[in-house]
Amino acid sequence: MRAGTVPSAAYHDMPYPRGEIVDRAEVGALVQSAVDGDAAAWKALVEGLSPLVWSVVRAHRLSDADGHEVYQTVWFRFAQHLGRIREPGKAGSWLASTARNECLKTLRSLSRLTVTDDPRLLDRVSEESTPEQSLLDSEEAAAQSERIRRLWQEFEKLGDRCRQLLRVLIASPPPSYQEVSAALGVAVGSIGPLRQRCLRRLRARLDARGTT
Amino acid sequence: MSDHKDRRNRQDHQEGSYDDEPDEGLLDEGLLDEGRLEQELRQAAAILDPVPDQLLQLAVEAYALHDLDARIAELTFDSLVDAIPVRGATDPPRMLTFQAGDLTVDVEVTGDGLMGQLLPPQPARIEVLGGPRAGAALTADDLGRFTGDAPPSGPFALRLRAGGELVVTQWMRA
Repeated sequence: MRAGTVPSAAYHDMPYPRGEIVDRAEVGALVQSAVDGDAAAWKALVEGLSPLVWSVVRAHRLSDADGHEVYQTVWFRFAQHLGRIREPGKAGSWLASTARNECLKTLRSLSRLTVTDDPRLLDRVSEESTPEQSLLDSEEAAAQSERIRRLWQEFEKLGDRCRQLLRVLIASPPPSYQEVSAALGVAVGSIGPLRQRCLRRLRARLDARGTT
Repeated sequence: MSDHKDRRNRQDHQEGSYDDEPDEGLLDEGLLDEGRLEQELRQAAAILDPVPDQLLQLAVEAYALHDLDARIAELTFDSLVDAIPVRGATDPPRMLTFQAGDLTVDVEVTGDGLMGQLLPPQPARIEVLGGPRAGAALTADDLGRFTGDAPPSGPFALRLRAGGELVVTQWMRA
């Protein structure tokens, strides 16, 4: 199941301010059940929090190979530490900050190997987006998928900071600001204003391009 | 899908001001628009940049790595982070140290494989884990030394049975 292809209605009604979208109490309970041997609870955790971990990896623009390994390392370590996590309700933040640390480590080892700090070298942007357009046959669907593709292109062209912040914010289900903070090392209090600024910037780009 | 239609309608009846001054006034509208834009981006991310299926599957299988019986040896030193790079050393070996109580596991990973040392020195049976599936077996000799002739590719952990105790090193990327 891909949570997130379906927008959350509750979220949609309250675009801002926002906060604890993923139910913290539920995450804590799932962690506890998984500790107690409930494989379905573990699966639910993976499905609910994988997009967050993936978004952190993508926000740091790792190569595919590095990104896949970071993702795995984070989940393997989470499984390993499962019964020892002090605040099960904050498992999302635990995963996000572990992912961030592994991403930073990877970037550091890359810069050491290539003996350069030039971010452009690290900036191995994702392959050309390969929208699953073939699935969408009708004209309206085609227009819709074209819109999404353009939106994504403009998003990819945002400055690093905005692209990074938004990439994590748009994980599905939407992460809490605590998790975003853990994922990016940004103070919780500055996320809201940054988010607003970055979305405006994106809107301006779309308007300039004449995309609706 | 309905939110896209909403947004089109909204743009229809405030087109001028919207294009001319995206940053001024219209506070509520602005917030609404940001919320919608974020939601659209979320949808785009789910379609264009989803978690790859095989990764999702591996994370589900990782439940098998949940092992209450084993003690975790936490990373206490990583040359990648804690060592000052030596100028001219192009591909220095990765040195890792893990600790669980008074047991120390030193590991050196090179292109040729891995070498390790248990302290205090003692024999052990060691399994090099590469994921939820079974790993390669190694043995530490009486002096606590062990070698593996293939470097771990990707995430790895060492599972050691030493002195009647089961210890697993924290998962790392090689």
